[in-house]
Amino acid sequence: MKKDSNYISIKESRKILKYNIRQMKYYESLKARKKQPSEYTVTMRDKNNVVEIDGLKTVFFTDNGTVLSVNGVSFDIPKNKVVGVVGESGCGKSVTSLSIMQLVQAPQGQVIEGQIRFNSDALGEDEEGNKLAYDIVQMPTAEMYKVRGKDITMIFQEPMTSLNPVFTIGYQLDEVLFVHDPEITKEAAKAHSIDMLKKVGIAMPERVYDSYPHELSGGMRQRVMIAMALSGNPKLIIADEPTTALDVTIQAQILELLKQLQKEQGCSIMLITHDLGVIAEMADEVVVMYAGRVIEKGTASEIFHNPLHPYTVGLQKSKPLITSASDQPLFSIPGQVPNPINLPDCCYFKNRCGRCVAKCDGAYPPEIKVSDTHYVSCYLYDKEGDNGKK
Amino acid sequence: MAKSKKADDVKTVAAVIQEGKATLTCGKHVVNVTAEGGDGVKLFLSEKGSVKAEIPADCAFRGDIVATYADGSAAQVEVVTDILEVRNLKKYFPIEKTLFGKTKTSLKAVDDVSFTLAEGTTIGIVGESGCGKTTLGRTILKLYESDGGSIFFDGNDITHLKKSKMLKYRTAIQLIFQDPYSSLPPRMSVGNIIAEAVRVHKIVPKEEISSYVHEIMQQCGLQRQYYDRYPHEFSGGQRQRICIARALAVKPKLVICDEPVSALDVSIQAQIINLLKDLQRTMGLTYVFISHDLSVVKYITDKIMVMYLGNVMETGYTDDIFDNPLHPYTKALFSAVPVPDPDVKMKRIILGGDIPSPANPPAGCKFHTRCSQCMNVCKFKAPQNIEYSPNHFVACHLYDKEVMSNLSRYDEEYEQLLAKQKQEEEEKAKKKRPHEKKEK
Repeated sequence: MKKDSNYISIKESRKILKYNIRQMKYYESLKARKKQPSEYTVTMRDKNNVVEIDGLKTVFFTDNGTVLSVNGVSFDIPKNKVVGVVGESGCGKSVTSLSIMQLVQAPQGQVIEGQIRFNSDALGEDEEGNKLAYDIVQMPTAEMYKVRGKDITMIFQEPMTSLNPVFTIGYQLDEVLFVHDPEITKEAAKAHSIDMLKKVGIAMPERVYDSYPHELSGGMRQRVMIAMALSGNPKLIIADEPTTALDVTIQAQILELLKQLQKEQGCSIMLITHDLGVIAEMADEVVVMYAGRVIEKGTASEIFHNPLHPYTVGLQKSKPLITSASDQPLFSIPGQVPNPINLPDCCYFKNRCGRCVAKCDGAYPPEIKVSDTHYVSCYLYDKEGDNGKK
Repeated sequence: MAKSKKADDVKTVAAVIQEGKATLTCGKHVVNVTAEGGDGVKLFLSEKGSVKAEIPADCAFRGDIVATYADGSAAQVEVVTDILEVRNLKKYFPIEKTLFGKTKTSLKAVDDVSFTLAEGTTIGIVGESGCGKTTLGRTILKLYESDGGSIFFDGNDITHLKKSKMLKYRTAIQLIFQDPYSSLPPRMSVGNIIAEAVRVHKIVPKEEISSYVHEIMQQCGLQRQYYDRYPHEFSGGQRQRICIARALAVKPKLVICDEPVSALDVSIQAQIINLLKDLQRTMGLTYVFISHDLSVVKYITDKIMVMYLGNVMETGYTDDIFDNPLHPYTKALFSAVPVPDPDVKMKRIILGGDIPSPANPPAGCKFHTRCSQCMNVCKFKAPQNIEYSPNHFVACHLYDKEVMSNLSRYDEEYEQLLAKQKQEEEEKAKKKRPHEKKEK
């Protein structure tokens, strides 16, 4: 009988446990060390980016082995742009966003490699004229408090669970202001919060200010979350599936609001979703993720009109459209996402791909540049490989 | 199937079989139809001479229908059986009760819903959350006792059947739940989950159960070795396949799918939709497909019913509704669906506000608070279901000729109503005042 890959013997289990404890202690000790500001200041590659993610690796030490949730992800978030991140559940899109916020569940979850450069106004330029930035991966938690919730904010998927049910909306909105500006008066905070509620299109802001989360509908709660995210005047809003829990008609309202606010406030949005329709509607640039890696990135029109990676193509074909004919069977990608614990050495999409070439058996394909903005990780577009064949 | 039916809608003559006989004439064609015990079966004869017999769901007739032309040659009859008919179904949930247990106010989750469903077809029930689509599905299954109306299944009235008698129909109507993570018992192996109902209802002899389960698993795309595994070892898509296998193991005729794909990823969603369609083709299943995802609904259904706050807004064949949505709510719903193409910028009809509380719905047309084409009539008069074109029903005053031609009269009526309400309020206020004085 073939050995069941899900089965772990007691001996193996103990070995994993020991390894995990050692690793977690090591990374926690790295974090606990006192750091000088120079250790977590780096220079931006391009000063027009808000965030640059470079070779990010986030792992989780679980009882079944080490899960490589984010495996060398690199992409930029330019100023005043909406960057959409698409992928199936478990592809690491949420973990990427949590890594940016330094909210990965420690000590099991650890960022082990890479840089996340955040372009902060608090830092100037170095001698050569390069813009200085914070490296969020190395940043101590106390410093991160100043950035989190003010410069980088987050809108979560489930508005009910992310609002505290025992405090009023007003209390929770004011809290953001008190944390980042201890000198602000109560009256000024209230005025600012009500202003924010008005901005997100809530009809009676004074009444909502004094009400509790359970008194509001799902759409209203999500508006409150957006108001909370905006109140610190952020540079980057991370919206993690902001409309998945909402109805289509409410989703349309919220997307419209986000788009309008993004233009008004001049901030960037990192929009995480699995709905290609939402991405097409909102995003300027698209990042497609699969099993912890970026497989394709480019501008929205490049990704939607000229998708290159077989997974991106499959994803777009498998979505039924209102305009599509219903008599043909729907295209579906066969198989499933590989187990994140024992990822193969080759391309992760190989066993689901219909367009494999000989090279696919080799190492994971490198990022191949198609145009200035369009990158794809697939051997089909490896020009050097083609030359070799000829 | 829906398309062939649409072509036949040019039927010109209809008749109902009485005392086992009926004669139809249409143009040159004369057809004699005999069907013993088939009283109540509706017959249609098209100009081309084709005969269609519709067996309503409340008619238990399952015998032969024989049709002959006037010259004695036999005519082919296309038989369409309505497997399910829901008539004016109501389900109210009590919210407030008096001291003696009488219901004071109730939440009208499903209010006056009717539809018919032919065997082997799919009806899609669409609407926002809280519109009563799940309640409707569960009331058809009799998980909730209905508060009015009737349900006919396969020729029998099952509205008021007792639990013991309902057992007979339990295998025939099955349900697939939305969340495959919480609807599978974690302590049972996949084989046992699928076999449990088979054992209880004695679908196959004891010795054959295991091979029967293997066969069902294979049909649903589950591998043989999964038989002894437990649900937590599977991904969402495979769990949904297990749920489908469990529902199909008891050989149902009607499957109610309550948002079966909304918890799944896009690439897995396509696999499940294809599986459902394949199974329908091979096993002749009938689906009630409840979903809020319009693109999926368009893909899988023959008929659509749009619901809002417990009422039906529009019903019709899928193609009709998508080609020509009539109700303002349907139009808004369609325009809200994001299209995965960055160049297509649709003219959005964005509905303001939220869906009103179903415990306290607006008077008149329930949609009037969010409607862009709201008139004064809508605020006090509930619209009637109007057949706009054959088999395309809409509940909206905009398509009611009687209302549209008498708009000014209704405007007056509305003003009178407003004045009356004002008067009443003033009177109430007057009545209150003496009390206040006394208290002081």
